[in-house]
Amino acid sequence: MDISFLLSQLIGGLSTAMLLFLVSSGLSLIFGVGKVFNFAHGSFYLLGSYLAYQFINMFTNFWVGVVCATIGAGIFGMVMEFLFLRRIYGRQDEGGFQILLTYSFILIIDDMVKFIWGSEYKTIEKPEILIDQVQIGSIFIPKYSLFILIVGLLIAISFWFILNKTETGKIVKATAIDRDMLGLLGINVPLVMTTVFGVATAMGGLSGALAAPLRTVTPGAGIEVIIDSLIVIVLGGLGNFWGALLGSIIIGEVLAFGILWVPQWASLLNFLVMVLVLIFKPEGLFPQKKGGRV
Amino acid sequence: MSKKLSLCVMFLLLLFATQSFAEQVVKIGALYPMSGRGGLYGKDSEIAIKIALDEVHKKGLPKGIKLDVIITDDQSKPDYAVSVAKRYITEEKVKFLFGVVSSAVALAVTEVSKNNKIIFVGTDHAATDLTAQKFQPYYFRVSNNTYQSMMAGAMYLKEMGGWKKIAYIGPDYAYGRDQWMELKYALDKLGVTYEVVGEYWPKLYEPDYTSYITAIINAKPDILVAGFWGGDTVAFIKQAKAYGLFSKMKYFHPDAGGNYEVMAALGKEMPEGLIMSARHHVNWPDTPENKAFVEKFYKQAGRYPSYAAEGAYAGIHLIAEAIRKVGNADDTEALVKAMEGMKLRLPEDPKGFTSYIDPKTHQIVQVQAIGVTEKNKKYPPAEVMLGKFKVYDANKLWPDFDYIEYLKKTKK
Amino acid sequence: MKRLKEYSPWFAIVIAFLLILLLPVSEHKIHLATRILIFGLYAVAFNILFGMTGLLSLGSALFYGFGAYVTGMMTKSLGGDHFVYLLLFGALCSFVIAMPLGLLCLRLTDVYFTMLTFAFGQLAWGVCIKLYNFTGGDDGIQGIPRMALLESTKSYYVFVFLVVFLSLIILWKISKSPFGLVLNGIRQNRSRITFLGLNVYKHQLFAFLISSFFTGLSGGLYSGLDGSIHPNMFFWTQSGSIILMVILGGINNFFGPLIGTIIFILLEDYIGKTTEYWPFFLGTIMLIMVILFPKGILGTISTFIKGFSSKREIGNGCHS
Repeated sequence: MDISFLLSQLIGGLSTAMLLFLVSSGLSLIFGVGKVFNFAHGSFYLLGSYLAYQFINMFTNFWVGVVCATIGAGIFGMVMEFLFLRRIYGRQDEGGFQILLTYSFILIIDDMVKFIWGSEYKTIEKPEILIDQVQIGSIFIPKYSLFILIVGLLIAISFWFILNKTETGKIVKATAIDRDMLGLLGINVPLVMTTVFGVATAMGGLSGALAAPLRTVTPGAGIEVIIDSLIVIVLGGLGNFWGALLGSIIIGEVLAFGILWVPQWASLLNFLVMVLVLIFKPEGLFPQKKGGRV
Repeated sequence: MSKKLSLCVMFLLLLFATQSFAEQVVKIGALYPMSGRGGLYGKDSEIAIKIALDEVHKKGLPKGIKLDVIITDDQSKPDYAVSVAKRYITEEKVKFLFGVVSSAVALAVTEVSKNNKIIFVGTDHAATDLTAQKFQPYYFRVSNNTYQSMMAGAMYLKEMGGWKKIAYIGPDYAYGRDQWMELKYALDKLGVTYEVVGEYWPKLYEPDYTSYITAIINAKPDILVAGFWGGDTVAFIKQAKAYGLFSKMKYFHPDAGGNYEVMAALGKEMPEGLIMSARHHVNWPDTPENKAFVEKFYKQAGRYPSYAAEGAYAGIHLIAEAIRKVGNADDTEALVKAMEGMKLRLPEDPKGFTSYIDPKTHQIVQVQAIGVTEKNKKYPPAEVMLGKFKVYDANKLWPDFDYIEYLKKTKK
Repeated sequence: MKRLKEYSPWFAIVIAFLLILLLPVSEHKIHLATRILIFGLYAVAFNILFGMTGLLSLGSALFYGFGAYVTGMMTKSLGGDHFVYLLLFGALCSFVIAMPLGLLCLRLTDVYFTMLTFAFGQLAWGVCIKLYNFTGGDDGIQGIPRMALLESTKSYYVFVFLVVFLSLIILWKISKSPFGLVLNGIRQNRSRITFLGLNVYKHQLFAFLISSFFTGLSGGLYSGLDGSIHPNMFFWTQSGSIILMVILGGINNFFGPLIGTIIFILLEDYIGKTTEYWPFFLGTIMLIMVILFPKGILGTISTFIKGFSSKREIGNGCHS
């Protein structure tokens, strides 16, 4: 095993990790911070990829298409939240109803997508400037992977900044702790919840749109997303973006090296990691300091 | 009563009797995935079934029988599919079970077929088991099994020569594993020596193959054999292309790689020089039957068919021909006998060969054509299709009783 | 009068069972009814953990699949005559593996508990698929024989009914016992229970074990139904469907999960045969039910009925 090979596996794992982080960022926001478990997170990812396909073809421009898809997914999320999720806040056993409601979203969105766009596979191409590879030494990295890396980092930094360094962020984090109290303090809690949900689904849509050039746009593409995202945010600590980033990197690298050393069992390693972390460090690798700890 | 009146009454009665004869509807209960990733195959099958039914009814069936196909989404879940099959048999009173894309579902449904003595015509799933050690007399399959594609693949590799190192990547479940097992078996049988430099088992529907791609490139095989289907093929090719994998080794995908929906999804992104096959090709053979089938499908659907369509089409014709031979749709044992050895001229038959059902295993015997991708814009949105086809003799691919014995010993 | 009200659900169950048995319904409907009974048991057992004790497990399918595979594989190799005690054996094995799993999972609370059960469930699924030489992998196992006595669909239905009915009685007794009251207390206020001097962890563990035993039993029953089992019996979506059925029916009522199961399975069958767009319709119906029935179907109905009954029972205890 030579160094350049190990390095290329490492970087490959990193590239997987960044996309994984991008995909789970929305779930991290809504679950970790908003305390709403959006089972349908994968469906917004799916929606994002289809909207991107639609808008890219409409405007024949990749960037415009992606932005429209992100906004579209966000708006759709806000509408779903406003019409349906709102009604179950504060209910006894809210958690169970969140699951049921968001599961019904999955069924509805997935069928809607099939109805509008059909069952065939659609495809999105990478934008011209991101097609080739970049060469660093003897390692080749596709430009698109670098792009994803940059976008992922930007998102991690922005969210960290907004949540921890601004007033808005404090309010958002407070909704996870005590919604009623916050309402008493004069904050428009429903508006905050809707906005947060919208941002989270927009993130889901963005990740779907950006992942689409690398994958297939097909009904059913959202289902795997939820499992991977769950594992990442559990590893990283709920609501912690740096934790989610680290969690993604761990999962990415575990897979990258797992397929070399235990190829027969590589696909189960991420569950094993999840089990080990939950047994030994259930709050995740980056436990939230104070508040929100269950 | 006057003679005229009684004649009229008799005439009316006769008319009535022949009308009720003409109305005998024979139901076929089809199970297909209509949602999720397999939904495309279900949809294509549905369209092809309509086309086949039109043809069958135009030609007519004995006693004015009309075929009616009921389709239910089996959700690719074996337990749910069994419940639907029971509904088909005991409520809809179907005379045939039909279809199925997922081999796991097929294995569960074939049990229902066996226990209820209802003929089950499989049209898309390819697990060899069903026509080998899990054979039961009421099961027939009208599309090829993975052994046929892999044996043809092994022959191709033997003819090609000039390679030593081989690696395999396929989804981590029975379909992926069986293909690799069968390719190795076939290569060994043909006396080809090879060196396996890597085996990779991403999970089914794996979205990110990056780490696999970098590992494969480093293992430096001469040939990479792939066992994906559907969207996974598209994702893998897209991601592998970005790493330049295809210029470093030959990509070999003999069972489902060349399926039309993969070409259509990749468009101009599909690289040239990939060696692939499929259970039916839109552009091969260049026979009037195939052209007519593809055109009819395009007219109905607005796009070209994936290979699931031809399987469903063949299945309906198999049933129709059996009914014609026996004269009715009720004598199950006679229908089984009629299907055994039945010859069916299908769109995928080249000139000079007609597919037929092997009487001992109930598996359709047909040629396999392996091609190489090249530019071809005749079937948009695909821009690259298979060409330079090498055709393999159907009888050399199946039946292979040595392999069936091998399966009996190694699999439950 | 109170006695009659208390026993009425049991009467309803028996009457429904008899109706299906005696009326001329198709084999499919009997098969459907058997499925409802099996999943109903699974759902009620699940609710012991969820609705009563407040623990949401996303890995219940681990025990369901385990029971199915132990019973199924052993029946296939030893023969159908041994089915009944292999059924109990399968449930017992689920009980046994529930011990280490419960010990590990119950150290965590709420969402972390859910996540760990999920992870274990997925590991079990993965192992089942990987050990394909032993378990048949993704092909599953078919051809599991039935006892000669239970050969027909009807006779198996009667057998399943007896097993499920008996199990429901046992679970009912447990839920009404002092132990059951403690479980309810744990759900409502953990610290209070601790202050009363009771060991929360031990009680949760027992609830986990009991739930897993009956879940394994339902898995074993399913293995005999079609004679076919498949690794996706371990998959998280199987755990997920049970959660749906339970919430749909109402988690605060012992029979709620059973009602939810009936509704879900019947809807799935009916909508599935009517349209290819079943996910849309099923999803919409579920959406409407969630909005309209905050306490689940049975919860809402029982509140409705209580509103009508003139006699207000004061100090009636925790739950119906």
